[in-house]
Amino acid sequence: MSAVRLRSRPSLAVSVLAPLVLIALTVAVGTSGTPSLRGTVTTILCEMIVVLGLQVFIGNSGVYSFGQLGFASAGAYAAALLTLPAAFVALQTPGLPDLIANAQLGAVGSTAVAAVACGVLAAVVGLPLMRTSTLAIPISTFAFLVVAYNVIGNWDRVTGGSGGLVSIPRTTGLVSAGLWAAAAAAVALAYKWSTCGYRLQATREDEVAARSLGIGVTGERLIAFALSGTLCGVGGALAVHQSGVLAPTTFYFVASVTTLTMMVAGGARSVFGAVLGTIAVASVNELLRGVEGGDKVLGLFSIGNTPGLAAIGVGLILLATMVALPDGLTSGHEAGELPWIGRLLGRRRVADRAAPPVTAPMGGGKDGAPAKAPVERAGALRAHGIAVAFGGLRVLRGVDLTLRPGEALGLIGPNGAGKTTLVNVLSGFLEPNAGTVELDGVDVSGRSPFRLARAGLTRTFQGALPFPQLSCLESVAVGAMGIGDRRGRAVARAGEVLDRLGLNGRATQPAASLPPAEQRLLGVARALATRPHYLLLDEPAAGLNEAEGEELVAILRGVLEGFGCGILLIEHEMSVVMSLCPRVQVLDDGVTLRIGTPGEIRADPSVIEAYLGHSYLEPANA
Amino acid sequence: MTELAQNLIDALALGSLYALIALGVTLVYSVMDMMNFAHGEFIMLSAYALYALAGAPFGIALGGALVTGVLIAIAAERVAFRPVRKADMSTQLVTSLAVATILQNVVMGAADARPKSVATPPFVSETTQLGSLSVPNLEFITLGLTALVLAGLGWLLYRTRAGLAMRAAAENFDMARLLGVRADRVIALSFAISGALAAVVGVLLVMQTGQVSPTMGLTPVLVGFVAVTIGGFGRMLGAVIGGLFLGAASSLLGAYLPADLLPFRDAFVFSLPVAILIFKPQGLLGAATGEVRV
Repeated sequence: MSAVRLRSRPSLAVSVLAPLVLIALTVAVGTSGTPSLRGTVTTILCEMIVVLGLQVFIGNSGVYSFGQLGFASAGAYAAALLTLPAAFVALQTPGLPDLIANAQLGAVGSTAVAAVACGVLAAVVGLPLMRTSTLAIPISTFAFLVVAYNVIGNWDRVTGGSGGLVSIPRTTGLVSAGLWAAAAAAVALAYKWSTCGYRLQATREDEVAARSLGIGVTGERLIAFALSGTLCGVGGALAVHQSGVLAPTTFYFVASVTTLTMMVAGGARSVFGAVLGTIAVASVNELLRGVEGGDKVLGLFSIGNTPGLAAIGVGLILLATMVALPDGLTSGHEAGELPWIGRLLGRRRVADRAAPPVTAPMGGGKDGAPAKAPVERAGALRAHGIAVAFGGLRVLRGVDLTLRPGEALGLIGPNGAGKTTLVNVLSGFLEPNAGTVELDGVDVSGRSPFRLARAGLTRTFQGALPFPQLSCLESVAVGAMGIGDRRGRAVARAGEVLDRLGLNGRATQPAASLPPAEQRLLGVARALATRPHYLLLDEPAAGLNEAEGEELVAILRGVLEGFGCGILLIEHEMSVVMSLCPRVQVLDDGVTLRIGTPGEIRADPSVIEAYLGHSYLEPANA
Repeated sequence: MTELAQNLIDALALGSLYALIALGVTLVYSVMDMMNFAHGEFIMLSAYALYALAGAPFGIALGGALVTGVLIAIAAERVAFRPVRKADMSTQLVTSLAVATILQNVVMGAADARPKSVATPPFVSETTQLGSLSVPNLEFITLGLTALVLAGLGWLLYRTRAGLAMRAAAENFDMARLLGVRADRVIALSFAISGALAAVVGVLLVMQTGQVSPTMGLTPVLVGFVAVTIGGFGRMLGAVIGGLFLGAASSLLGAYLPADLLPFRDAFVFSLPVAILIFKPQGLLGAATGEVRV
């Protein structure tokens, strides 16, 4: 393994231990208290598992789901029905199949079955829901919550209907709830730092850029949705075995808002935040519930019976968080990433050191991948007769293009010539009205961007489209993960690419903190991590000053030699293309004007005319 | 034949009601890109105004409901939504959820959780005989109000300066601002109209069910959200179509589902749209904003 690591060992240890210690402390508080406090703390730990479930999906995808409590409800009902004594089953749910009615599982068995059942249910429900757009998922999941409520509340013979279930064995103890919560936190962290977790986080940071790196958004969301459903199911199963009673409203709107508040108050992106937020919000909630019931709070004051006070408190916390602290108490950091923890640890992170120089050739050897021999590759990226019209505006009118492995082709043309549109077509972001795209002899027309990236065709964008919350090393590693690399290999690859592009000093810094020129370079690094055979660079120098542009050209030249992929370089700044590309294609008004060497292009009057206008050629203005 | 005609009128009436909800949701969405969870609470509070003014003449109670809807919407915008105007969609959505929770539970604390019955004029619950059809007067009221609202909204949006500003803001908020449209005013106006629409819906719901409860806004807001989603985000016409579709589906399912499946009507109603979204991810008319940016 390379010496490059995503996070230093002390930071990793703190991140893993902090939530576990917090859970242990919570258990300790419960153990030392009255039986009623024990019960309350046990309930909070069950809620925490549901909140961790929310965090897995919402925190990593950045897309809100309002339906996860439906899975908690399903888990609770499954576990309750599996443990209800047969006599009670006959009384409450006569329509239950014998297999379940006669089942008499223990606490662990019923929770495990509920977990699996909810995971499967979430996968089945998620299959259509995750296909809906990013905007629609909060709404379609909210609809699922209502559908689940409607079904549970009316399926009297199986669920007991709106009256709910009673006499459920109360088997969830304080310690077992703590252990389950600790396991859930570990699972949430493991997922977050897995390749799947990183791929999903990349879609949260920038969906378009993630797709360009081989990441299938729907699939990644579905994985997290199913895992989230599983955790919510566990939380529901344990909670019902704590309270002993269950109704369709137990895990409905109020519980949805409460758990959501816990997650965002702690910081949605952080597992530690989910644990911390649960404890913080639950404490306030309990305090208010005491006031609500007319109890004296801390023996001090009482304002009589005020229903709804706890829920108002939750609403206010949610509102205050959104307005004043949208990233929550942890700012979305894991414990080991908190700045003050970093100072406490008092040492520089391992990865902050410049990575050791790379000795192995790029793209292979060291990590076991066969080195690419690009020149010998037979294939090419070919486009035939690409035509695109936006309404009546014909942007491309039958353009051909061929890019061979190992070559650098410049694509130039004045603004509005159709360069970026052509790149969008080649990379699968835009379906042309006519024409085909062929990748190494295979027709790939109509394939989605992430499939093309996995097939070896990757692009960058005119904007840097950074993943702001990920470190540079993580950002680039995500590129390798997108095409299916395992974590260790992806990180090693990312280290090598950063090293090659001179960004190794930036490895642990957040991508958003880089100056613009380096962000642009990071975009190239990210794309290179996907091991492209063909790399489409859309105006990498746009917005950079002259010195930065020249530096970029030098680096790109290194890329061309070192990485061996075919590069399509789009620019309207001629000088950059001329110094880098032995072959240049000129696009004007949606058609190819000329293909030739830089010298030929420079001398071609039609190209000059396209760029500078007709009058430029007339002697009077020369 | 009579039964079919009867069912179609019922479907149209419920669809109109749902369209009014969806319009209220989409008006705010189009200028602010915010799906407003609290819209259901605007509806609920307007209905409670009707309950609170039960002793007054019905006309005054109606006016009170309308004023309540408008004022609550403007106040919510000023207090809670303005601070997150620049935030991303998710933050705004969750903020509105917080507002909804607070409003709902304030009412629960002030007037307790049980439903309260509200008397409406007897005319509302009578039916009119049209040949062999007997149509509830409430359906005439609903259809008439919907037509009135659509006409009024059309006039406002396409015949007035304020409407032009709103449409410009809906197309491109930042550009509209640069061209001199006052953001605060346009957004406040959208909320005011949205609140007025919520009040109309609240009154119709009270007439339909004869009661109010703190949670009565939950199903309507889901209806509004789903209708807007299947119609296409930010599209006025899409909201109307989505609302009509959802209302018609609900009404017809109620009429034709076998008795033992009838309790699961909501499950069917809210599962259907997902099928549409799989094939038309941007909704029936396509989203007005949020195109893929490359």
